[in-house]
Amino acid sequence: MARNEYRIGALSLNVARYVIVIFGAIVMVVPFLWMINSSLMTTSEITRQPPVWFPATPQFSNFTGLLEVVPMHRLYLNSIIVAAATVLGVLFTSSIAGFAFAKYQFPGRDLLFYMILATMMVPFFITLIPVFYIVRQLGWINTFQGLVVPGIFSAYGIFLMRQFISTLPDELLDAARIDGASEPLIYARIIVPLVKPALATLGTFTFIGVWNAFLWPLLVISDRDLMTVPLGLNSLRLYAAEARNLHLLMAGTALSVVPTLVIFIFLQRYFIRGIALTGLKG
Amino acid sequence: MIWAYIFISLPVAGLLVFSLGPILFTGWVSLHEWNMLTPPSEMPWVGLSNYVYLLTQDTIFQRALVNTFIFVIGGVGSNVILGLAFALLLNSRLRGQTLWRVLYFLPVITAPLALGVIFGFLFNRNYGLVNSLLIALGGTRQPFLASPDQALYVIIIMAVYQYLGYYIVIFVAGLQGIPQDYYDAASVDGANVWQRFRHITLPLLRPVMLFVIVTNTIGALQVFDLVFATTNGGPANSTMTVVLHMYNTAFKFQRMGRASAMAFILLAIILAITIVQLRLLRDRTQE
Repeated sequence: MARNEYRIGALSLNVARYVIVIFGAIVMVVPFLWMINSSLMTTSEITRQPPVWFPATPQFSNFTGLLEVVPMHRLYLNSIIVAAATVLGVLFTSSIAGFAFAKYQFPGRDLLFYMILATMMVPFFITLIPVFYIVRQLGWINTFQGLVVPGIFSAYGIFLMRQFISTLPDELLDAARIDGASEPLIYARIIVPLVKPALATLGTFTFIGVWNAFLWPLLVISDRDLMTVPLGLNSLRLYAAEARNLHLLMAGTALSVVPTLVIFIFLQRYFIRGIALTGLKG
Repeated sequence: MIWAYIFISLPVAGLLVFSLGPILFTGWVSLHEWNMLTPPSEMPWVGLSNYVYLLTQDTIFQRALVNTFIFVIGGVGSNVILGLAFALLLNSRLRGQTLWRVLYFLPVITAPLALGVIFGFLFNRNYGLVNSLLIALGGTRQPFLASPDQALYVIIIMAVYQYLGYYIVIFVAGLQGIPQDYYDAASVDGANVWQRFRHITLPLLRPVMLFVIVTNTIGALQVFDLVFATTNGGPANSTMTVVLHMYNTAFKFQRMGRASAMAFILLAIILAITIVQLRLLRDRTQE
């Protein structure tokens, strides 16, 4: 009898757990589902009261209408160029400096490394005005290098790579040196292949960060042909608010969000492990 | 080793130019008046008057400080409580772990700007889904983002929605680091669920808790995108945050000295809060 009661108690506890977790998941997903549904509605359907859940006829023309207002394909291309260049830059500067700090003895090493640690937690707003000034003086306003170059030096990336490379045995390097390998060759042929998992983690997070970045591109880019996806969404937002073209705004929002969602769903295991790893150690 | 210097030269130079140098330069500019049009060598020295102005006369800045603190307390508090609660739920033997984590994680990888647009619709006064739900449940229509009393709380909800999944993942990783033996031993000694949570989970989770609170606080103090995309500081500055006000001061009104002083005040606040949090949570760990 007592055992039965215990079982019923455990069962209802389990049901309660599922109910809460499912409720939370619904709250998380509804905004996205609503966004996708309303990207296929007319403006009057979006604003109707009581709300309409599904469009009477899916308005696929919203997406062609959107392309007339905002060149989404151009925005994607720009975002991909900027994100790819930044990711490659961060991976290169972080791994090569991380390698030097992990595997070489040289005067000033610890001092320089502490300097890098000190800049690791520096909030972006502290450097915003001077970096903007530097970029403007270089004539990099409305250029991709203005978006990319200030972002490719990552103190966090150097720290992460140094920690990772430190765990590799020195014998590997010594063996290569005996075979006559030069130091750059050791970096390219031995270090880089061995730290691929760490590079992939760093690269993924850098990519998402750059892809979603808004404030810095807002300052550097005003040329419509060079806008990244968030900038395009912002100008669409301002346009739609005046013109009451809410269906175009929702179509644009959906198009800007769905690619990251798809990438994430395919690589989710990777992301979540990376966070558990870097989050706890960083 | 000459190669070591060659390897670090570019990254270190980059950090000097784009990180360390700018920090010092911002500090220098904060003691001057500057519109970024004259060369920095010619900007007039004003001493601490930018700081004095901000702390005594700039009512928008003071409002922004208060708003930012409310945002931090509400956001970090909710993320810690909800994040830990859902992590505990997900860490128990629940089916569909991967599915739940993916669903909870979707907002984390979404651009804050896009979420701002979506939430602007959901919380719209006239046709937002949240109002429809309220009315269906017998409530009355609320202005939400259009109300000076409610807008900040809607933005807190958005921020919690966006980052909760991230903190759930971190808490789950922390929970999985606690050896099962401790719970088994406590069960043998007759400890109930609450006692096990209070005396095993919480103490052993302190390092993770520390990480979550410190990083979330630092991030929340810098909120910009979410506000920019929804209320842009309004109505009546009720959602003005420090970084948004700094952005306006610098890039709308070209007052670089004042904006730099703002940045340094916020940096000082971040450092002070972080040190206090580290102290408090470390001391308790040594109990």
